[in-house]
This record gives sequence, C-alpha cells and structure tokens, in this order.
Amino acid sequence: MLKSGLLFLLLSFSGCAALLFRDIVQQSTTRNYDYTKYHNMSEISAWMEQIVKENPGVVTSQTYGKTFEGRDITLLKISVANPDGKEKKAVWMDCGIHAREWIAPAFCQWFVREVLQTYRTDEKMKEMVQNLDFYVTPVLNIDGYVYTWINETTRLWRKSRSPPPANCTCYGVDLNRNFNANWGTVGVSTDCCSNTYCGESPASEKEAQAVTEFVKNRTKEIICFLTIHSYGQQVLLPYGHPQIMAPNHAELLEAGTGAAKAMTAVHKQEYEAGTPPEILYEFSGSSKDWARLAGIPFSYTFELRDKNEFGFLLPEDQIQPACQEAYAGARHIITYAHDKFFTDSNNAGAVSASITLWVTALTSYLITYVLE
Amino acid sequence: MNWFCFVWTVLFSMVWQCPAAPSTPSPTAPGSTAQDEVECPSNCVLLIYSNRSTSEAQDPLVMTSTELNPDHYEAQRAAHAVRYYLNTLYGTPFRQLSFSKVHQARTEDLGEAGMKYLLEISVKDSLNKSSEKLCSAEVVYPRGETQQPPKVQISCAASLQLNTSAEEEDFYKRYSAADSAVSGKDIPDSYGHVDPEMVPFWKLAGVASTFIMLNESNENTLYNLAQVAKITQLESQNGQLRLEYVVLLHDMISQEIIRWKMLVSWSPAEGVKVSDTQLLPKCHCKPPTP
Repeated sequence: MLKSGLLFLLLSFSGCAALLFRDIVQQSTTRNYDYTKYHNMSEISAWMEQIVKENPGVVTSQTYGKTFEGRDITLLKISVANPDGKEKKAVWMDCGIHAREWIAPAFCQWFVREVLQTYRTDEKMKEMVQNLDFYVTPVLNIDGYVYTWINETTRLWRKSRSPPPANCTCYGVDLNRNFNANWGTVGVSTDCCSNTYCGESPASEKEAQAVTEFVKNRTKEIICFLTIHSYGQQVLLPYGHPQIMAPNHAELLEAGTGAAKAMTAVHKQEYEAGTPPEILYEFSGSSKDWARLAGIPFSYTFELRDKNEFGFLLPEDQIQPACQEAYAGARHIITYAHDKFFTDSNNAGAVSASITLWVTALTSYLITYVLE
Repeated sequence: MNWFCFVWTVLFSMVWQCPAAPSTPSPTAPGSTAQDEVECPSNCVLLIYSNRSTSEAQDPLVMTSTELNPDHYEAQRAAHAVRYYLNTLYGTPFRQLSFSKVHQARTEDLGEAGMKYLLEISVKDSLNKSSEKLCSAEVVYPRGETQQPPKVQISCAASLQLNTSAEEEDFYKRYSAADSAVSGKDIPDSYGHVDPEMVPFWKLAGVASTFIMLNESNENTLYNLAQVAKITQLESQNGQLRLEYVVLLHDMISQEIIRWKMLVSWSPAEGVKVSDTQLLPKCHCKPPTP
C-alpha cells in the first residue's frame, strides 16, 4: 500500500511538474503569442515585458506618462547601435488613441514583431534600423481600451475616461481633438457628451500631455510620426483644418500616396491618401497635426480596415491581412523619410570616392606622360 | 505517517493550481444589466440623442454648378446616399448593393429646391462580384432647418432587378415556420464574429438600416451599421417574416453611435420593408456619488 501510494505521489508530482514546466515555457516566450487575435491590456503589457526580455540590448521600455485612471503609458524603444557612431533619427508610432479601434493596437504589436524579425536579414531594414530608433506605443488610451473590454455595451467607446466637467454629465474627451493644434476650431464639439468633445483646454488630458511632453523634447530626432486608427482605409496627411497647408505638403502627398498604393497592392483593398478636409472631414486638435506643427516632417494618421462592412468590429481573421497592408504603408513612409535624411551622406561618400578615383587616374596618367 | 499526509496534501494542492489561466477576457462589469435596448444604470440619465451636426456644418457650396473631385468627401457622401437608396429597393438578406468608385461628380445648386449632386458611379452587386455596372445617379439634398431625406434617382435601377434566388426561398420557408422564434444580440460580437446561421439576419439588418440611414442623410452625415444590438423574431403576418431590430448606426462625421429600433418585414416577393422606426435615447452617466 505504501508502494502504490508513493507511486501515485511520484506520478502526480511529475505530472504537476510537467504542467508547471509547460506554463513556464509558454509564458516565457513570445513565439507562442498569437498576433492574429485581439488581446486585452494585461496580455499586451505581459507581451511588452517579454519582448524586452527576449531582445536585450535592442528593445527597452519606457513609461512616459499616466492615464487619467493612473495607468502607466509605456512605449517600446527599438534601438540598434549605429556602426559608425553617427547620430540617429527616430520614428514614432502610437496605436489605440481611440479605444474601440482594436485593429490599431493589434498592428503596433505586429509592427514590433516584424521589425525585430527582419532587422538582421532584410538589407533595407538593417540599414534603416542602424539610422533610426523606433518608439512604439501599443496602446495610448489605455483607460478607454480597458473600458471596451468590460462587456458588449462598452465595446464601442471612443474617448478617454476622464470625468465630466462641471454642468455636464458624460465621461471622456476625444483625445484626437485634444492636442494643441488649432485646438477647438473646427470639427469638434463643446458638449462633453459628444464623441468629438475636445476637452476644456488644449492637452487637458493626461494622455495627450504624455505624448506632447515626450515628443516635444525630441522634435529634432523624430522624423516620422505615425498614429494608427480604424476604420476607412485611408492615409491622412496634415492638416485637419481646411485653411492651412503644411510647408512640405508636396512631399507629404507623395509619400502618402505611395503608401496608399503599397497598401492597396497587398490584397487589392483600396486605400486612398489625402488631407482630412479633402477625403474625410475637417477637424482640429489631432495628434498628427500637432506633430507636424511641432516640426516633425512626416506626420500621418493611418485609418486601417475595413471600409464599412464590419467597421470597428473587424473579425480576427482579418487581423493578418490588415496588418500586412498597414505594414506595407508604414514601411513605405519610413523608407521615404529615412532615405531623405540618410541617402545624402551615402551620396557624399560615393562622391568623395569617385573624386579620389579620378584624381588618382589623372595623377597616374600625368606621371606616365611626364616620365615618357 | 502524518508527515507523509502533509507532503501529499501539499503536492496535491500544487496539482490543482497548475492549469494555465485562459487568455480570453472575462467580463468584469459588476452586475451587468440585462440587454435592454434602453439600458441605463441608475446613476445615469437618458437623453435623446441630438445629432443635427448642421450647427457644426461645413459651408455649403455656393456656386451654381461645380465640378467635384470624385474621390473627395462631398461626392463620396452622395454616393453613399445612392448606396442606401439601392438597398431599400433591391437589398435582401442575400443581396447587398454598394459602389466601388465614383468616376465623375458635380453639383448643381437648385436654390430653394436644394443641392443636387450628379454622379457617375460603379455599382457593385454582392451576388455578382466580378461585374460592375456604370450608372448615372442624382441626389438632391433639400434645404431647411429640419432633417429631410435626399431624393435619389439612378439610371440603371431597372437593370438591377433580379429574380428571387433559391437561397432566399429556402431561408424564407425555414423561418416562416410557425414555431420559428429567432433571437440574438451583439452581432457581430466584440471580436467581429458572426455565427454563420445569423449572417443573413445581420445582412438583413444592414439592408433595413439603409431605410433609416437614407432618411437621416444630409451633406454632413455618413452612416454605416456598426452592430446589431438585438434581434427578436415576431409572428409572421400576411406572408411576411417580421423581426424587431435594435441597431447601432455609426455616423462617421460626428463619430456618434446612434441607437434605432425598427420593425422589419421581408418576403422574397415583397422585398424588405421597414416601419415603426424609433430613435432610442442615449445613456449619459453622471459620475458616481462619493
């Protein structure tokens, strides 16, 4: 009896150990993370920690603010040392500024994985990663995102979760109307119950403040600001205000149109590029407008899948194609911005090399001629 | 012997803790209320939604006749009005019409009579995805303080008429049975999933919603069906399937989610009819009293 009892103990102990081991293995690697499913905030946070652990020396995380409800707003920084010690520029990407647009945080996670999987093998990505750091915020409006996960009645929430001002009864501010960029002028509501309520003052919301503070100290460094939304399949360039035009409108349009073409080419879904007053509606206080005004040359809002069939409730089986399209578009703009800032130095190198060659050729010809 | 039991208990308790927690989210709302269409917790108030974005409207075009960029918002919104109109005429649970592209667009200011949009658009039929019809359409938005539906005409209307399909007949027969009592809610769900059996009811909601969307359209709106909140099948009458729907419409311009209740009847012979539409109040929540 003692023997069978001990045997039973041994079996259950080893069974338990096996289960524990399986859990440890599963939890400690992002190789099993399903990028084609929607994840709640605690899963995303755990994923971020794992990504940092698995990519030492390349990925770090940084908390750069707090939401209204006190949650840390955290980004992942992807940074590889430049082999020549040259000064690096950077790309900013944020997702989930509007809580119900679940495909956006899904894309930020996809983007991080894609960069980490290709920066050693893809020649162009390798080059870009040596010159560019990436700051990626998978979920910016964390309070709103968490709220949309409570149950079906909260799924279509858009705004932050700050409380109503005096004399009003509704929660939340539209974070993409709250930035200090022609704030409160067009396409906004002053009714706190409206989904486009711009807040009591520019950057009144902690989430908008966090982005503003982080980015404004890095406007020489950041050359590309991408903020990810859904739905509509559009690449939006500054400005949302109908009467102002960005100083580099022509190149913004060129890069944006190229991105839309690249996105359309992936799965033959139509994407179009333009300013909001042209192709969507006019509005002020957006983060992309603020970034452009702050001096960041390439600033865009991406509206991902779909056109109008599922809208905010994009099925999980469309996460992969949607992310492939978005990646093609993001990569196009990042490449455009990168090549603008970094190909010149390559050309300088090429020019000095050819000058050296010609001088050498001429000198040897002259010497030969003289010695003759 | 006591030591043996202790160790056994400890090890046994470890086994019970081992299975990994599932990664799917579980609802954490305290005391989730029943899915009533006018659900509003006690610390909240019901307000009638006031959309009328005319107060924040963009300036209407002042010229008498203007060429429009067909890819820009003015032409696109008018094309959506055409889309709604086509579906009120020919939409079924198995057939929806839409447009792939606006090729040309211009406006004619009719003064008191309103603003006319003239469009050349490619109409798409969900039953025949490969072929598109190039049609000419007109949308006249009336002027005025109160919302009135635009008047829509389209050149290829007659050619879009189709016979009832076998699919439609089967569906109709199946759910005409006396004991049929279909019901559902939150379609698609949070993950975008629709039960295969509910797909025709979801599509029917989309078609029926176009009646409301057309009625509510003006130059400053763009409606899509965001979600079906609730479906309840009622007793068939006069050979029509009847369902009561609560739908959530998304207006792209105001970004609002607008709740409508409607009574939908359908048969292959009669097509989709919508009646008893009712704008549902929105719930505005006061902060919790400290």
